[in-house]
Amino acid sequence: MGVTLPMLGRAALCSLLLGIALLGPARAEPTEAERMTRWSDLKHTIFGDRVVEAAGDLVAIDAPARAEDAAIVPVSIRVAGTLAPEIGGFYLIIDDNPSPLAAHFLLGPIADAREIATRVRIDDYTYLHAVAETADGRLYMAARFIKAAGGCSAPASKDQALAFERRGKMKLSFADRGRPDEPVKVKLLISHPNSSGLQMDPVTRNYIPADFMQTLDVTYNGQPIFRLESDIAISEDPSFNFSVRPSNPSGTG
Amino acid sequence: MHNGVHEEAAPANDDAIANIGFIVGDDAVAVIDPGGSAREGRELRAAIRALTDRPIRYVILTHVHPDHIFGAAAFGDDHPDFVAHVKLPGALAQRGDYYLRRLREAFGNEAEGSEVVMPTVLVSTRLDLDLGGRRLAVRAHGPAHTDNDLTVFDEKTRTFWLADLLFVDRIPVIDGSLIGWLKQLDELTTISAKQAVPGHGPVSVPWPATAEPERRYLAAVADDTRAAIRSSVGIADAYKHVANSERGHWLLFDEYHPRNVTASYKELEWE
Repeated sequence: MGVTLPMLGRAALCSLLLGIALLGPARAEPTEAERMTRWSDLKHTIFGDRVVEAAGDLVAIDAPARAEDAAIVPVSIRVAGTLAPEIGGFYLIIDDNPSPLAAHFLLGPIADAREIATRVRIDDYTYLHAVAETADGRLYMAARFIKAAGGCSAPASKDQALAFERRGKMKLSFADRGRPDEPVKVKLLISHPNSSGLQMDPVTRNYIPADFMQTLDVTYNGQPIFRLESDIAISEDPSFNFSVRPSNPSGTG
Repeated sequence: MHNGVHEEAAPANDDAIANIGFIVGDDAVAVIDPGGSAREGRELRAAIRALTDRPIRYVILTHVHPDHIFGAAAFGDDHPDFVAHVKLPGALAQRGDYYLRRLREAFGNEAEGSEVVMPTVLVSTRLDLDLGGRRLAVRAHGPAHTDNDLTVFDEKTRTFWLADLLFVDRIPVIDGSLIGWLKQLDELTTISAKQAVPGHGPVSVPWPATAEPERRYLAAVADDTRAAIRSSVGIADAYKHVANSERGHWLLFDEYHPRNVTASYKELEWE
């Protein structure tokens, strides 16, 4: 299993986000109609004029209705077994985050598309949208409303000293397989602050510069499992759960 | 001493949910946690002034949580030393504005005057404060309830003020390090005292016996969270499998337990 991670901060984005963060008193809660308009605008920005179908039972997005910690909200996208072989990627959109397109997963041939999970920061009560894309370009959308707030600017690690010591480590674990032909469940943890640019440095008391994963390539024996294109919404210590069907079922790396 | 109510912070209780208080010596007064809002701080100050006109020389901030420290602004005119853990300024820099915004949103006018007050005296290991014939030993602890916990030992009455390193009846909140907290408890419970003051719970409890339920809860969270991680239960569902035997023992269990498990999971998955 190989993981590569070019990390890049984006100063321009950081200052833009600061502008948003400092806008002052809490705004009124948007109406349902305003939320729908927001999604419609986002959809157009990301997918242009392409048709985005409601997925019905084919795609689901799971997240707690009320987040226990807005800086670490577990989100998983699930796809029905009948559709999964056709899926080539997922978009995860957090409508009311400062930077709504949280993640774009591009699946490789050995990925199992039935479920993928990560943890995200959520800045305000919002809809989450998962859009699954088939290899031939169809788009299936599932939505979920979540109550969580303050996640993008929320303090990072509870134990700063420990987080600093551990930075850069990765941990990969594999669940036991029931049968050799079943996909292998994999959990990948990366110790990294994935700084959003909206958090305060405890020593200098300046904003910590944005420093987050933009792309992550996960491979097995050189074969891509997925590429992630991501943004500030992925939580500190990025975590991914996914499944692989190794072409050579005898080994799991 | 003010006995905090066992509720979530709300306008009806002015954020007065924590145990706060003061100690009077021959020459001076020390406040231990000024309370959750400027209003609560003013009430505490009035209670002090009803008893003594000695100067309020120290305001000890036991940790970063808003229910303990937002009353500090009420003591500005006394020009006390604001005493805190060496890591408190960092924690306040990270969270102070966020906490204040939330206080103002939740409490409106009731929050008026509440401000983030930066400490002026920092404790990295231990600091003795002399109130005149009465010495307070202030100790800074490693990451436990938060990463900036202080305790205060009043040698005259052998009273051990543990603040939020000790929760009684109300469920402990894990916001520093679960493993660190268990380690701190091992050490703190070797210290003998006539009575202890928890951050939440009755204002005076026997020590160290009263620490046992908290230790038991934290140990159950550690054991069961490790088991959940081992058996590939995800972070979102883990709380359903963790420390269920503790549910009947704590107030506000359902409000805070899932969050404790989320924090513990994130800490323990790196083991």
